[in-house]
Amino acid sequence: MARRLNWMIPRLLEASLGAIFVYAGLQKHWRPEEFAEAILAYRLLPPGLAGLAAAVLPWVELCPGALLLLGFKKRSCLLLLGLLSGVFMAVLLLTLARGLKIDCGCGLFFQRQVGLAAVLEDGLFLAAAAALYWWELKPVARGQ
Amino acid sequence: MSLLREDLGWAGFILAVAAFFGILQHWTLVQVSLRGELPRHLEESRAQRRAVQFQGVKTVSLDQAHTLWQGGALFLDAREAQEFREIHVPGALNLPPEVLEKEGERALTGVPKDRAIVVYCGQAACDAALKVAEGLQQRGYTQVQAFLGGFQAWDEAGFPAETSQ
Repeated sequence: MARRLNWMIPRLLEASLGAIFVYAGLQKHWRPEEFAEAILAYRLLPPGLAGLAAAVLPWVELCPGALLLLGFKKRSCLLLLGLLSGVFMAVLLLTLARGLKIDCGCGLFFQRQVGLAAVLEDGLFLAAAAALYWWELKPVARGQ
Repeated sequence: MSLLREDLGWAGFILAVAAFFGILQHWTLVQVSLRGELPRHLEESRAQRRAVQFQGVKTVSLDQAHTLWQGGALFLDAREAQEFREIHVPGALNLPPEVLEKEGERALTGVPKDRAIVVYCGQAACDAALKVAEGLQQRGYTQVQAFLGGFQAWDEAGFPAETSQ
């Protein structure tokens, strides 16, 4: 039973993480102009790069999310999702420090402002990606 | 170590493929952005989207909003409560879209249906003012208008503001 749980919990976590990033990526991919506005509101990128970021970022969520769901190159996908969450965490904290009251543009379920909830949510994704990467490394380290 | 290098290599490959597809899918947006025309493009697409999504909601300019405020129109601030408390148009009431959805007409108890009402939110990109204006129209308020410049435009014009803190 414990063995089965040990196998099931990471699989469930991986599927959830992959699905969340696929969903978030699709929301942004379907509304690129709204996502570009959200990026501009952070006032970190010049307009010349904001459009490029609005085009690329949804796919950087979508591709590793989908590949994680499919079980292809899971460790690399987890590295990418972890990196994405880490960079976004830095952006959120910087935005909070600058006192900007803007929509987070997270693309998940409902609109919300940059704040503690968005930081906690992103921290959860970061922790899940790190834990799963470590989990995926274990059998390799044991030589399995 | 070689394992991490291999993982990073594949991560880089997936990143490159993702970036390629993203640029391919949204080539027009990328071109507009690189030409430095993104703000104008976003403004146009926002106006087009709103014309469809909020069909029938009247809007007012900054000067018209100021004149209406001087004439005693009721101002509704559609931003979140915390932002409203920090600073808002003098005399305005706080009514975010979620509160209107939840409370319905009770949110504006005692306000005559034919009273002049101006709704605003944070800045030009937010839709909250339009959502509230549309919601009020659906509930029978006949003189509702949305001020799309938002509190940012009001404040930048140097018009009066007050705080509730």
